[in-house]
Amino acid sequence: MFGRGRPSARPDGLDGVMTFFGSFHALRSESVLKKAGFPVRLIPGPREISPNCGVALRFSWGQCDQAVAEVTRNTIQFEAVHLYPEDPSVFHQKGRRP
Amino acid sequence: MRTLYLDNAATSWPKPSGVPAAVRRELVHGGGNPGRSGHRKSIEAGRVVLACRERLAALFGVSDPSHIVFTKNATEALNIVIAGIMGSGGHVVTTGMEHNSVLRPLRALETAGVVVEEAAADAGGRVDASDVARRITAGTRLVIVTHASNVTGAINDIAAIGAACRARGVPFLVDAAQTAGCVPIDVAHLPVDYLAFSGHKGLLGPQGTGGLYVGDVARLPPLLRGGTGSLSDREEQPDFLPDRYESGTLNVPGLAGLAEGVQYLLRRGVDSVQEHDRRLRAVFLDAASGDARVKVLQSGVLPEHTGVASVIIEGRSPSAVGEALERRFGILTRIGLHCAPRAHRAVGTFPEGTVRLSWGPFTSGRDMARAGRAIAAIAGGR
Repeated sequence: MFGRGRPSARPDGLDGVMTFFGSFHALRSESVLKKAGFPVRLIPGPREISPNCGVALRFSWGQCDQAVAEVTRNTIQFEAVHLYPEDPSVFHQKGRRP
Repeated sequence: MRTLYLDNAATSWPKPSGVPAAVRRELVHGGGNPGRSGHRKSIEAGRVVLACRERLAALFGVSDPSHIVFTKNATEALNIVIAGIMGSGGHVVTTGMEHNSVLRPLRALETAGVVVEEAAADAGGRVDASDVARRITAGTRLVIVTHASNVTGAINDIAAIGAACRARGVPFLVDAAQTAGCVPIDVAHLPVDYLAFSGHKGLLGPQGTGGLYVGDVARLPPLLRGGTGSLSDREEQPDFLPDRYESGTLNVPGLAGLAEGVQYLLRRGVDSVQEHDRRLRAVFLDAASGDARVKVLQSGVLPEHTGVASVIIEGRSPSAVGEALERRFGILTRIGLHCAPRAHRAVGTFPEGTVRLSWGPFTSGRDMARAGRAIAAIAGGR
């Protein structure tokens, strides 16, 4: 899987970005992922990858599948997950999921 | 003379101390618009709204908090469902005990061809659940029942009515304005499709807050459409929850306060509040019942009431009694028809109405004994 196993390029290790259609889903994802022990942080939604919502959620790309599973288990809709690159103007998109 | 506030069915007071503190905190230190921006004030405001939504979901047994939609009051929540489902016509079953927040939208729709049928209630205001079930036909599009009368406090059997609705495939709207926060409600185990609630009564939040639990999304179009902060590149209303029903900026200071009110209830337990209300009802009835001229409207079984008692004193108008309660005894009540003329007709107190006393989680047994003695004194001409 793309990006899996690589050392994080970011000092905080949060090199994945989850985007959403609405802010409820972003904030709810932060809430459930924090409760489940995932390190996460909300950031202004990068316009390069999503026009849909003002906020996006940074997470550790190495935990992508687990984070997606936790969000899905809580019936939270998200738009896509992305690898956050050194240069934020160019995003690597892992793929869209419902 | 210490003022005794007994108008909690109109709006609860006092609030838990965390409620005004949270409103102030949001106004002084918060201030962002949730969902509109990505800066920290916007995100913090979003967390405030989410906390309120999650706590309400926990209180009502809702597994997915996105199904809790915020409105400015229960009236708006009821209108969303009534207009959304009945706006295109059809047959609706409701009861003779509804508040004007249900009656008036239905009267307006009647002029557009909607057929409204009302189930009966007993002299204490309890709705006959089997009569509701009997009135459901193949053409019924919605059933609307108040969980408890705002006039007498009689609690209705929404489990039985909801089961009849499910059996016929008809959506069921419950008006929980008088019961949310006072009577345990678990939608995971109740056949309820929509639950409208007020934030400033039993839930102990500020005025200007309320909401709707939306179980059946597919049948319910939004009442308002507009900015949601989501899908901003599109001109169509989002179809996902909660944005589908939440256009325009939310009342974040109000919701900050409501979150604290609900937190108080989660800690204390709604069961405990209901038991408190029952105990105070017994204290009041005991103190007020010494004079045969005092009549308290209630339906047979004493525990099946909220913290509301409607009183009439033979030979005295409700206005005179209410004035005497305030002027001579410092007791604040609500007199008249309580925005429920139909209900007063059903229980035989139209058009004069009643004196309604309604207590809350911070009312004491001594307070209710004082209120009962005051009623007895007025009845006795003292």
